[in-house]
Amino acid sequence: MGVERDKIDWKPTIDYSKCDYCMECTNFCPHRVFEVRENEEIKLIVRNPNNCVVFCRACSKICGPDALSFPDKNATTLRIKEIRKEENNG
Amino acid sequence: MVENYAILPCNGLDKCAGVISAEIAKKLCENAKNELICPVFYRVADTKYNKIAGEHPLLVIDGCPTRCASKLAAEKNLKISQKILITEEAKNHHIELNSGLRILKNENALIEIILIGLSKAEVKPAQVSDETITSYNFDYEIFQNGKFIFRVPKNPDIYYNENDCWAYVVGNRARIGVTDFVQQNLSDILYFTPPEIGDEIDQFGEVGDIESSKALVALISPVSGKVVAINESLVQKPEMINENPYELGWVAEIELADFESDKELLIGFDKYFEIMKKKVENTNG
Repeated sequence: MGVERDKIDWKPTIDYSKCDYCMECTNFCPHRVFEVRENEEIKLIVRNPNNCVVFCRACSKICGPDALSFPDKNATTLRIKEIRKEENNG
Repeated sequence: MVENYAILPCNGLDKCAGVISAEIAKKLCENAKNELICPVFYRVADTKYNKIAGEHPLLVIDGCPTRCASKLAAEKNLKISQKILITEEAKNHHIELNSGLRILKNENALIEIILIGLSKAEVKPAQVSDETITSYNFDYEIFQNGKFIFRVPKNPDIYYNENDCWAYVVGNRARIGVTDFVQQNLSDILYFTPPEIGDEIDQFGEVGDIESSKALVALISPVSGKVVAINESLVQKPEMINENPYELGWVAEIELADFESDKELLIGFDKYFEIMKKKVENTNG
């Protein structure tokens, strides 16, 4: 993208009111974005948001209880272009 | 019209959408000459249902995106003719399903809508697939990891995004598809859901789904514009994406809306090849 990854806000957000801890997302995602915490009350967290491939929403597509959401794609695209401009001008 | 089909519902008893999938399957078998496949019995004894599935086109009804019924069909090597995903249908029709396991008013309304949709003869609007890119002359670079071979075309007119999709740009059109990385990771591709001709696609918007027993992957369009052609052969033979995702397995042609702007966020062969190699090493070790 030509922009440092940690400047791009793209990661899944877990809706804990829907998540049933089936762990399909963490089994599926090869980028270790999620972390399972067996002994905690909240058993699944987004551990490595910057590992999430920008614009990938694959985990949300396999989430049975529809508990994962992502930022707005168009807003993210615009923001990346803005950052690139700022950096080129600066 | 769904008649003389084999019907495979997910039958998920712990979710409302699963209960709906079972109910639709039962109604389809009561009201028309269709054969029901019980997914639970199919797992432990498959002779009966292999025969039924071999003799009829198959309708798979998944309750939720976990897609248990689709995965079962894949495990049993069944060819899927038609699919329904209950939660997606509910969203499309703005129907909120209850959190319990009973079929109430909203659920009944959704069941009716789905059954009416299935009972109608399939009349697709006349779609003209305006395919214009007919010849290829791709020059491939190869990366091998164990037994897996990853080919990537290095022509300068091919652009990539980091979501492992390519766009071959010719004039104001681009043909798009997935790379070898996607097809190797998915393994045998069993189902392809194409975009509609005329769909307006944003850059990084979804332009069709590809599904194997392992996962369902949305194709993330490298370019923005209007879908003017789809590779209709993939609907019957999605395995062509495994054979060659760049030539036979192309997905769609897009009439470009603003390629100069899109190009800012795309990469060429050199960069994509390096990114893909890292992904392969991270994925396969």
